[in-house]
Amino acid sequence: MNLEHDLRRALRRESPAPGFANRVLERIERAPERNLMVQQPPRPVWWRAAAASATFALLLGGLATYKLVEYRRGVEAKEKVLAAMQIAGEKVRLAQQEVREIGSQH
Amino acid sequence: MTAIVPDVIEFPTALVRSKAGDHEAFAELVEQHENMVYSLAYHFFGDRSRAEEVAQDVFLQLYRSLGSIESDAHLLFWLRQVTTRRCIDQVRRNRLKAVSLEDASELRARDRSEDPLLDRRLKRLISELPETQRAVVTLRYQEDLDPSEICRIVGLPVNTVKSHLHRALQALRRKLENTP
Repeated sequence: MNLEHDLRRALRRESPAPGFANRVLERIERAPERNLMVQQPPRPVWWRAAAASATFALLLGGLATYKLVEYRRGVEAKEKVLAAMQIAGEKVRLAQQEVREIGSQH
Repeated sequence: MTAIVPDVIEFPTALVRSKAGDHEAFAELVEQHENMVYSLAYHFFGDRSRAEEVAQDVFLQLYRSLGSIESDAHLLFWLRQVTTRRCIDQVRRNRLKAVSLEDASELRARDRSEDPLLDRRLKRLISELPETQRAVVTLRYQEDLDPSEICRIVGLPVNTVKSHLHRALQALRRKLENTP
């Protein structure tokens, strides 16, 4: 048995079903025009660098805004805590005063 | 005084006319190369419908890329390269081992002297080879290409192609001897 000879015979060219070229042309006609356009060349390097810079700037801006909002929230919370402590201190002072007054009556 | 008249008037080839937007010329191009493209895919997948699909995709891609095709020789190289790479890519993406039922039903062929049965058995064994070996064997024995030509199509060094071919033949011989 000559394997190479057998392979040549087994792998001889075969034909597709009749009408192959017509089927290809039908697909070309059906395909949207934009898909049949030659693919656009890749964008130039400067364009990609500009896009990357813009994306980076947007990210930085977003991060800065987030930090600012967080900072403001922190300040507000601190102010609320201080106000609460002030109110609580005032109430304690009033309570002490009342206790002293009751003590002096007895 | 004599006028110099060319012996043969050269008509533009189907490629040139296709590039100028002539659809009939493109159909002519497809007809010229459909057997080669379809057979590469068919011998790779062992499946006619899949081969038809791949072959159509290749010609669709050719239609889009006509502007970059420089000559008929370039066209032939381009078609072989795109078909082979599409086949390999599809297998790598899907990891499919396509053996049609039509072919699989005749795998129990015992008599090696009967050519149609041996052909089917060989086709089945080829479809079981790893994808690169399969492509190299198909290009070698269907298209009768040398390893130096195959290496340009599959994008591998020539020694790697020779090695794939050697291993594929070894595997085929071994399987032919060991399977009934």
